[in-house]
Amino acid sequence: MTDAGTSLAGRVALITGAGSGQGRAAAELFAAHGGRIGVIDIDDAGAAETVRLVAAAGSEALAVHADVSRRADVDRMVAATVERFGRLDVLYNNAAVQMSGRLVECTDAEWDRTIATNLSAIFWACRAAAPHLRKTGGSIINTASVLGLIGSEGYAAYGAAKAGLVALTRQLATELAPAVRANVIAPGSIDTPRFRKVADAMPDPEGFLSGLRQNLPLRRLGAAEDIARVALFLASDASAYTSGAVVPCDGGLAALR
Amino acid sequence: MTPGRFAGRGAIVTGGASGLGAAVAAALAAEGARVIVADVDAAGAERVAGEIGGRALRVDVTSAADAAAAVRAAEADGGLHVLVLSAAVEIRADLEATSDDDWQRVLDVNLKGPFLCMRAGIPAIARSGGGAVVALGSTLGAIGQPGFAAYCASKGALVNLCKQAAIEHAADGVRVNVVAPSACDVGLFVRTAERTGNAAAVMRQVAANMPMRRLGTARDVCDTVLFLASDAAAYVSGTVVPLDGGLAARRQ
Repeated sequence: MTDAGTSLAGRVALITGAGSGQGRAAAELFAAHGGRIGVIDIDDAGAAETVRLVAAAGSEALAVHADVSRRADVDRMVAATVERFGRLDVLYNNAAVQMSGRLVECTDAEWDRTIATNLSAIFWACRAAAPHLRKTGGSIINTASVLGLIGSEGYAAYGAAKAGLVALTRQLATELAPAVRANVIAPGSIDTPRFRKVADAMPDPEGFLSGLRQNLPLRRLGAAEDIARVALFLASDASAYTSGAVVPCDGGLAALR
Repeated sequence: MTPGRFAGRGAIVTGGASGLGAAVAAALAAEGARVIVADVDAAGAERVAGEIGGRALRVDVTSAADAAAAVRAAEADGGLHVLVLSAAVEIRADLEATSDDDWQRVLDVNLKGPFLCMRAGIPAIARSGGGAVVALGSTLGAIGQPGFAAYCASKGALVNLCKQAAIEHAADGVRVNVVAPSACDVGLFVRTAERTGNAAAVMRQVAANMPMRRLGTARDVCDTVLFLASDAAAYVSGTVVPLDGGLAARRQ
């Protein structure tokens, strides 16, 4: 389904955390719609596999190794992508770490790493990419979380970082307009390898998963492809008049709040 | 106002040496609380503590050791029941002009500071038999405004951190709420307005844009903070109370 609205032909998208899960699904879908992709990940093998999948989808990708909690890596990933492809149209900040822990038990090191990876990294990336995105009339997509909109036991630093990211994105939507749009995707429970790892660590993984499904209006977990389709909408001209929005993709969970 | 609402209770007010923090410290003391005026500005804290009959403590909220020391001092004085998180910095810069140092400074004071103070203070409030945390957020925690990138991000994150803490510690008898003022005629906004070189005109213009056609006052903030800190709000936790002359009503 490549109508003009969701075409990324001639455009370049940088996707962080593209070596697996939601980032990889977006890279494949963006590629299928004509986009060239900067595949950013801390996991080189995962990034290489995504590059292969992008090629199989008929497009072209560049893998860049980056730990987004380091400013220098973030600057380098933007520069390398622009150097290779000559432009930047879409900045998709998808990479994140998720460490759970109650506020009173959260160590300074856990706090600092979570805030750096999930909030400061996006600030650095947007600052570095803004001049390039202004030239192309680009789009910024930031992955927050339903946990950035509500509180939930055990996610003190994570929830704070994601809520900060929502606020930062609203801010960007006002500052970088009219040239650049900025929006947030707020995924709910998405069935990715990382999510399975969390579930498997539970005392009763199957009971946990079926309880989650039961609690969702749509009665199923999300798939990485569900998020990728929302990301494509926000990346493309299909959302030309949408900026500063928080789009939940959560099986209807947000409607319960 | 009920005199003595906070008689016998211990309070810490971060950022208590100036602006809204100093006003809240004075209001709590006037209603009977033992107040620790915690501020990185030691001389200012001494001055305010002297005026209101409280105790001054030099506290850099970005230091876990300082936060813990303030909590220990309150417990040694008879317990901690109210923690008001007022320390904050505001840097006026759009995203592309925000330096790494400014970004880190704003996040450290406005977000990590409340985290460190709550991490140390919430167990102490629970040990003291329960009480309340009230954080000073901002209208800019809910909306974007050009020129306040780091500040908006820090206040948005603060809101959710407080919701988180409210859920985690509700059963311990600790309530956590946020007061979100818009521009006030005391504190950070005044300092920001002064940096424009024409503070009076800026403040008039902002006031004219408010549904109530005026800026918030220290009185407004104190009334709301003390309500949330008091037993009158015993069933209120995890909320954000806009204190904005009706501004929030313009939004979704």
